[in-house]
Amino acid sequence: MHDTKHERRRITSKLVDATLTTGGMPAGLDYSPVAMMPDVRVLKIGGQSIMDRGREALYPILDEIVAAKDRHKLLLCCGGGTRARHIYAIASDLEMPTGVLAALGGYVPRQNARMLQMLLAKHGGLYILHDDFEKLPLYFRLGCIPIMTGMPPFGYWEKPTKGGRIPEHRTDAGVFLTAEALGCKRAIFVKDEDGLFTNDPKKDPKAEHIPRITAKELLERDLPDLVVERVVLEYMQRSRFCTEIQIVNGLKKRQLTRALEGEDVGTVITR
Amino acid sequence: MSKLVTGDGRTHIESSLMRESLVDRRVIAKTDSENELAIMPDVVLVGIGGQSIFDRGKAAVMPLVEELRRLRDARREGRPGAPPPMVLGVGGGTRVRHTVSVALDLGIPTGGVAQLVGAMEEANAVFLNALLAKHGSIVMQREHFWELPLYLESGMLPIVISIPPYHFWEPPPEDGPLPAHGSDFGLFVHAEVLGMKRIVFVKDEDGLFDKDPKKHADAKLVPRTTLGELLEHMPEELAIDRQLFTCWQRARHVEQVQIINGLVPGQLTKALAGEPVGTVITRS
Repeated sequence: MHDTKHERRRITSKLVDATLTTGGMPAGLDYSPVAMMPDVRVLKIGGQSIMDRGREALYPILDEIVAAKDRHKLLLCCGGGTRARHIYAIASDLEMPTGVLAALGGYVPRQNARMLQMLLAKHGGLYILHDDFEKLPLYFRLGCIPIMTGMPPFGYWEKPTKGGRIPEHRTDAGVFLTAEALGCKRAIFVKDEDGLFTNDPKKDPKAEHIPRITAKELLERDLPDLVVERVVLEYMQRSRFCTEIQIVNGLKKRQLTRALEGEDVGTVITR
Repeated sequence: MSKLVTGDGRTHIESSLMRESLVDRRVIAKTDSENELAIMPDVVLVGIGGQSIFDRGKAAVMPLVEELRRLRDARREGRPGAPPPMVLGVGGGTRVRHTVSVALDLGIPTGGVAQLVGAMEEANAVFLNALLAKHGSIVMQREHFWELPLYLESGMLPIVISIPPYHFWEPPPEDGPLPAHGSDFGLFVHAEVLGMKRIVFVKDEDGLFDKDPKKHADAKLVPRTTLGELLEHMPEELAIDRQLFTCWQRARHVEQVQIINGLVPGQLTKALAGEPVGTVITRS
């Protein structure tokens, strides 16, 4: 036994003796988490699918966003796209660790978010950092459209990827986790297809549209390719708030607007 | 020069991942290779326990500070057998438990809890820095990640933030409401991404036991084990974040995690010299 003067000075609480490392519900705690801002619409603007298409694709989407901004609290999150793919390709070739790829890949969605901010500035577009998250209520109260990267802030602390180097948590995961943190039921992903198909519609013209499916079913099919990052479907199995994602086609007029009004256009993936 | 490719309405940059779905397992596999760049392979990460060391105050902290000073001096003077360069991390201790307990009772969501807990560790980093500043310590901010070589090259003792920056974006835990990515995990990924081979956790017990030695008098010390053995027979109560071991399975660089008793003077020095004090866990 150690000397008593070595004693640990502890604060009494329900967790004073609990092992915090084993998971489970700590004894004696009645946990019901609050949804911080469940009425926010968390939107992902695709990188490759929207931003890399330039003005032709983006401007009509921005018109819909501006038209909707006084009816809804919109939080825009940006994807990366082809420059992120280029970074991942070069970094993989240099045999860099996954955490470095995640940090490097983070630069591109930030550029995209800044571009969106410049385009939406006159309508209240505001570029925000992860550290500004707690100021969201102010931005919404002022009628602003906060715009941030879709990447979660993991960066160098991203876990190594099994069987490859591309970080598992990219902008889909970040957008989903943003919705979960805010307590939103659904996150909306604006892409360049009507959602999910039986095959890649860009490669197979006979691919059939799937309007609704569960994340569980998608995981069970164990497809080599998916429409969203795999971890999103996994996290949907155990999330507290965000149990749905909707993928809409930003190239089709009013599809985003209809999604914002709560219509199940595109593909809805439920838990 | 890379070529810009158009024709499908999008502008691509030519690369091996152009137009590819980064979710596709076949594409992900293309980015794999046997080797991986080890950025700072000779550095050893030393994690100092919050509850086990800091919460004991002067009696436990000061001898350890003195040992760290001697290790740092030995390294600067470059004596034969000088210890390897060190990066320090600290845990948060009892204040983290209190934070989590109050936060959960208030109904703070998991991401919110993750956002809160780091502050208690940063406080311990400030304590340690105040004690070690005259011996060249510095608290490394996240945005100064790439200044680590500067600190080490100039003989300083960098103290890194141990909690990983998952914050509000903490993934939903597999079981229960507690954030799974704590300070042990954070230090582990920090070491891994920089290509370090060794991590030493300084706690208040002689190593890893088959059950909590503070609650069970018959707990047995495990002097040496492997990651595989540990995953197969995971003790119910662990001195280290479980997530660390899960992550270690897919890691490429960290070869050894050692858990030692910081209340025993000289044990850290021995561990850094490569002696198998405490518990040595190897990857294979």
